[in-house]
Amino acid sequence: MRSLLFAIVVGLVGATLLHIVIVLALPQFTGRDAYTRVLDLLEMDSFFALSAEPGPTGLRNSDPFLRTAVCSFSVADAPTRFIARGSVPFWSLSIFDSGSNEVFSMNDQTAVNGNLDLVVATPIQLVELRKSPPEALAQSIMIEMGDEDGYAVLRALAPLGSFDEEVRDFLTESSCGLFRRS
Amino acid sequence: MLRIPFLVAITLAFAFGGGIASSVWALKATAGFGSIAIGPWVAFPQAQTATADPYAKAHRARAGDLLFGGAEGLVFSAATDDSGARLSSDCSYDISGITPPARFWTFYATTADGVTLRPGPDLPAAINSWTVLRAQDSSFVIHASAAAKPNNWLAIRHSGSFKLVLTLLDTPTAGSSGLIDLAMPKIIKTGCGNA
Repeated sequence: MRSLLFAIVVGLVGATLLHIVIVLALPQFTGRDAYTRVLDLLEMDSFFALSAEPGPTGLRNSDPFLRTAVCSFSVADAPTRFIARGSVPFWSLSIFDSGSNEVFSMNDQTAVNGNLDLVVATPIQLVELRKSPPEALAQSIMIEMGDEDGYAVLRALAPLGSFDEEVRDFLTESSCGLFRRS
Repeated sequence: MLRIPFLVAITLAFAFGGGIASSVWALKATAGFGSIAIGPWVAFPQAQTATADPYAKAHRARAGDLLFGGAEGLVFSAATDDSGARLSSDCSYDISGITPPARFWTFYATTADGVTLRPGPDLPAAINSWTVLRAQDSSFVIHASAAAKPNNWLAIRHSGSFKLVLTLLDTPTAGSSGLIDLAMPKIIKTGCGNA
């Protein structure tokens, strides 16, 4: 009887250890975290507007008034530049790294003239950009990302049905691509 | 004889069964620590950051949702009314009061799993701060019900329990240190069945 009790106690200690291991290791192997889902859209370097119905990746517009577009990018070779222009009542952008941690977020009131113009770069690329700033990036916000890969989420608000077209144009005309000096 | 293998089997069964069951339970029960809870409303302002606790990181990796950044907004959700009872689609609820300061807010219902309810284009399935009808002191009352109601009606066409989601966009609440006294709308049950 005592050995049975001992076995159960050892089992519970093992369960505690396993619980800790599972919770800590889970982000590495779920295969359905936000970054993997964005990568599964197979749309590198351009914003992909999500629909209300979940696609094969499971990503969808959950808020009825917010239209969402996502873009996966890599700054391994060159900085990535995000541009969006247009008049929508509200837009916001978040940059996440490959572990789905927030790197940077902004909205239209924290942007220059209400337009999105953002450059994400590695620390080394950023030093080069600061040393000789290109003319094209005079108005850009520059942020540094330690991780090379990540994804961006752009949200635009359509409070009434009549804003739908403007918001759709805003998202389709937004761009997310590598920045190279010409 | 078979005593030792039996004891080893018991130990392993408890270890794996208990470990997996407790992990799944913990990740389903909550989205991690560090929540802001105001009445029935719960928000996780730190869940998307690198400093989020391991439970929050495991939860967001399993859910795979696109979370809101700090400058974007803060999502409050409520699964119960003010008395602590689960929100049931058989009942009607009044959501009344004001929201914390925000440039804009949206309000809609989801299933218990967080899938947005879309009852169809003819029914008011969501309300935002532009379309809501307010009283003179800018407070509002939203009626969440299956039956049509006057003023602000949020149509619930669903069976079982549901959740209410209030998203505050561009709000100082997301960086709240707890110094601001936040007021969220109250959720009061007004009746069940066809009454």
